[in-house]
Amino acid sequence: MCFKNLPIEFDAAGNATLKDGVANPYSYTETPAPTPIEDDPERMRELFARNGAVRRVDFDPVTRVAGALAFHTVVDLENRQVMETASMATLFRGYEIILKGRDPRDAINISSRACGVCGGVHATASALAVEMAFGIHPPPLGIVARNLLLSTEYLYDHPIHLSLLAGPDFSEPAVRETNPEIWERATSTRTQGREEHGYEFMSELMTDLTPLTGKLYLEGLYYTRLAREAYVLIGGKYPHPHTVVPGGVATTIDASDLNEIMLRVVKYFDYGRKTAAIWDDLAAFFYEVNPKYKEIGTRPKSMLEPGQWDDPYAYDATYENADIWARRRWAPPGVVVDGELVTTSVKMLNAGVEEFVEHAFYEEWTEGDQPRFPTDPSGNPLSPWHPWNKETIPKPTATSWKEKYSWSTAPRWDRMAMETGAYARIWAAAQTGGADFRDSPFINSTGHSLQITLPKASMPNKPIEWMIPETWGAFERNRGRAYSILYTAAIAYDNLLIAYDLIRKGGPDAKMSTPYKVPKDHRLGVGLWSAGRGYLTHHLEMDNGVIENYQILTPSTWMASPKDPFGNPGPYEEAVMATPLLENYEKPEDFKGIDVLRAIRSFDPCMPCTTHLHMDDRTITREIISCACGSDGPHEH
Amino acid sequence: MRVLVCGVGYRFLRDSAVGLWLTDTLAPQASNGIEFEDLGYHPVGFTQNLDERPDYDRIVFVGAVERGRDPGTVTAYRYDHVLPDVQEIQDRVGDSVTGSISLDNLVIVSEAFKALPDDVWIVEIEPADETWGEGFSPEVEAKLPEITETVWSLTKL
Repeated sequence: MCFKNLPIEFDAAGNATLKDGVANPYSYTETPAPTPIEDDPERMRELFARNGAVRRVDFDPVTRVAGALAFHTVVDLENRQVMETASMATLFRGYEIILKGRDPRDAINISSRACGVCGGVHATASALAVEMAFGIHPPPLGIVARNLLLSTEYLYDHPIHLSLLAGPDFSEPAVRETNPEIWERATSTRTQGREEHGYEFMSELMTDLTPLTGKLYLEGLYYTRLAREAYVLIGGKYPHPHTVVPGGVATTIDASDLNEIMLRVVKYFDYGRKTAAIWDDLAAFFYEVNPKYKEIGTRPKSMLEPGQWDDPYAYDATYENADIWARRRWAPPGVVVDGELVTTSVKMLNAGVEEFVEHAFYEEWTEGDQPRFPTDPSGNPLSPWHPWNKETIPKPTATSWKEKYSWSTAPRWDRMAMETGAYARIWAAAQTGGADFRDSPFINSTGHSLQITLPKASMPNKPIEWMIPETWGAFERNRGRAYSILYTAAIAYDNLLIAYDLIRKGGPDAKMSTPYKVPKDHRLGVGLWSAGRGYLTHHLEMDNGVIENYQILTPSTWMASPKDPFGNPGPYEEAVMATPLLENYEKPEDFKGIDVLRAIRSFDPCMPCTTHLHMDDRTITREIISCACGSDGPHEH
Repeated sequence: MRVLVCGVGYRFLRDSAVGLWLTDTLAPQASNGIEFEDLGYHPVGFTQNLDERPDYDRIVFVGAVERGRDPGTVTAYRYDHVLPDVQEIQDRVGDSVTGSISLDNLVIVSEAFKALPDDVWIVEIEPADETWGEGFSPEVEAKLPEITETVWSLTKL
């Protein structure tokens, strides 16, 4: 029984049904959100009178462009506590509306534009949704090629986050500025992973995390390039690939292409081992300095992943068989609630998803008691707030932290806020104990850890093991992502070996795609996939050969979500609320917010939330580029 | 001579897509060393792509940038290669790797990673409407011929 809150029960055969005798099973009573501090002038005055160190601190988007995040907090700098949080997606992209009435195949290219970094996964999730609706699936080599695209995308995504976004928060300049006493201690603290990463003292490691000049920063940049080079050998272009189509991949590959990819993938064997050791050392050092660092970004261990990397001989793109083929994926689907794996059924994962809009700039779409699709294609109950039943109706209003304040909906699974990401992927894989999981000679799931053993590259090939953490927060998210580099490299290597074999054997299994016709009748499809940053689904309804409804649910929608109607905050809001302010500051104006930023950045946000910080009336704004009044003056025509 | 024209922006955000519209429109006329590229992606990837190619003699960036001018204002200028401080460069790298696409980020990060040639031009259009949807605001729509002419003239060295 995986649901605690939804009105779903299971019969003896394990079939899901709505609970008997409940009149409106999915109905709920909204819990009013608490009145925000700044909307209550009396409370505000009282707080300031009592404690002049209470401040509003907003972490605003760096640019005005799409996908941006604003993060509002009220902090008590004297007691070092966050008192209030609100996560706000600041712009409506409208993809669901733009896609209506179009050929479903257009969704692959159009949805890929949703992101400037990870467009490839949108293209693939879209292709999966379309091929389920079309009733087709790729030949085995097409599936393996898609797996290689995904692997190289993750091998790009994880280093870019760890080196270019999260790493600088732990670099020498950042630590010197915000906690000089920790920097001092780092200069005399020996590392534990010297054998893997080569650093004798923590200070040396932190110096090399320095933005733009640090060796680890530049090395991360190099590895993003290597992965992109591998990706374009199949995808043609990145981040907006040209070759992802329903039913496979629209290109050919041969052994020499595979050799080129292999040459790059094996370089991650050493890099993955080294990166894991670096983030092990960072966690160990900060935990040793102050155990409260374990609480930076902490929240319940509740997360979900739809699973990815399909078995070339199991995936048939049907919803009916989804639980079978999804459990044969290299990364199994999984929902983890309070640290325990509650299901590996992708159908139950799908049935548990709802999106709420009480605090988002959308209009409620449910009418009457009966949703358009009361069940999924296998007969499992669906909520009126499920993506297949959802309609996107934008309704911009003035921002109110108590009412509506975000363009992100509030996705919930079993009415709980969930996070997602590379760490959720390995967590679910580790807890299956290998039961619901494609066999791999390179990965072993123990039930409490994941062991990865790869052939020797330059470093000794001893196995590495990621352990399910006892505490959960920013450091563990980063550590999990670091271990995911080697995990991803292992899966890429496994798929490369399969690809060589398929090409050697030839025949129909070595084709890259399958022919199809666009059906004209009513169809449903769903692409259950993931970005490097986690959960990604595309829900499709089509009729008469065009899209009737299209719903995209991204990792950042889950994690940057506003509060839900049950009064629960979104994951960013919850994690920042629990974050102790351990930064060293004497005066409020010295406050940099490094611990809040570490907390948010550990989620690998797919939206800008980096610098444009303003505090009360003290605003730090970014100047336009220095060349705006260029030396040559306006161009005349 | 090699010239690269880069359209920067987001599709389906009205005026924000004007740079991409321009490269889509002019791409069929690419010839004699003039190339057009859709730069609806992040600058780290762009700098890596440039490193793989033979050097360009000139790069022209074109896109909508809000700077408080009258909507539809077209401004073209030569880039002076002056960079902001390291912190701001890193902020823009961080911004870029979280999926954001902007002309300012693209130019600054590319310059910081030493990917740009000496001769760089920027063509900015002041947007009136960057909400979701297709098509342009009347102000920008009226300036499309001027934008096209401006960019096309910059392909001639």
